[in-house]
Amino acid sequence: MQVLQRQFDSREHLIAYVKDLAPWADGDCSYIEGGRQKAERKLADSEPVEYARSRNFGDGKITRLSPYIHHGIMSLNEVRNHALKKCSEPVQITKFIQELAWRDFWQRMLVHHPQMAWEDAEPYKTGFIAQDYADVLPQDIAQGYTGAACIDAFIHELTATGYIHNHARMYLASYIVHFRRIKWQVGARWFLQHLLDGDIASNNLSWQWVASTFSHKPYIFNLENVDTYFGKLVDTSPLTNQPLHASYEILQARLFPNVTTA
Amino acid sequence: MSASLIWLHEEALRISHLVFKAAPRGTKAIYVWDDAYFREADYSLKRLVFIYETLCELPIEIIWGNTLEVLRELAPSNLYVPATNNPMIAEMIGDLKIFLPVEIIEDEDFVVIKNSIDFRRFFQYWKKAQKTAFLHNGGVNA
Repeated sequence: MQVLQRQFDSREHLIAYVKDLAPWADGDCSYIEGGRQKAERKLADSEPVEYARSRNFGDGKITRLSPYIHHGIMSLNEVRNHALKKCSEPVQITKFIQELAWRDFWQRMLVHHPQMAWEDAEPYKTGFIAQDYADVLPQDIAQGYTGAACIDAFIHELTATGYIHNHARMYLASYIVHFRRIKWQVGARWFLQHLLDGDIASNNLSWQWVASTFSHKPYIFNLENVDTYFGKLVDTSPLTNQPLHASYEILQARLFPNVTTA
Repeated sequence: MSASLIWLHEEALRISHLVFKAAPRGTKAIYVWDDAYFREADYSLKRLVFIYETLCELPIEIIWGNTLEVLRELAPSNLYVPATNNPMIAEMIGDLKIFLPVEIIEDEDFVVIKNSIDFRRFFQYWKKAQKTAFLHNGGVNA
């Protein structure tokens, strides 16, 4: 029985050791480091009151604690208790607590419905059936050269760092399922490969929510929305993001031609 | 049969997890670096590095091998395992139960809601959850 090494002179040595253990693993390491000490630092830096105002923006005061929560390095309970100490009234941190609650909700959902990890919970509400969606992730998405500049930027961040903002995850999921008509399972598996917080319950059920197999309607977005929330961070020029540059009405008709609105 | 053992999996990597309280004091904890598991999960290198960095901070042994084979060889008198809903890990736990006495230990609660309640939408869950979500320890032992 081989006991593995736990002490390293540097992070570089640890990374080289893991590469030797798993020479088949794709990519490089992230700048985000594992461990309880890093989690505690992020928790100390968190701003749960400010979170409510800015969380949807790419540069908002999100905690980036999810990789640590997913791995059980820090519990939801600990994060909540810390947030309570940082507010004068609990109502100030409602959005923050709700975000933690979403994770708890997804976990509970999967306990009751384990088949929902990979099976459609409900039919798509897009005017298409599951068989209309592709089974393979195209290379332009996997490699990040789709031709939509902001989408490519999100993909590069995902594959390089293993972390992207939740709002960017929704854009990517919507782009893959609705703009490119690919099965949500394909995208969900790709996310799990890369996301440091890749959690089957939160990830896959969120993909189902975007796809509309676990919600009343598909989630879509347009370039104007990306510009509002990420305009300072990624290229949102119409010239370099043509597939996304349209009103919601036009996109709705283009993406879901079989759906008739009342 | 040898002494009790704690088997940590990738979703419970902290020493304050309740599995350490459930097991007899001084119980050894291990993590099995299971190459076949990681290959099947198809994790990229950055995910593996993140997990390994976390393991190095824990007072546990990291053992290379197939999870079932390692635990079969160690043959603990009782195996303590953190609860999970990860289908791959849950399947391994099911296989372990065939040849080992396994105790599954839930993590600390976020809110006080019976696990038996099946919520289909978040707002149904939130109606119940918000009663304890804003309380220290979710109102447990308050």
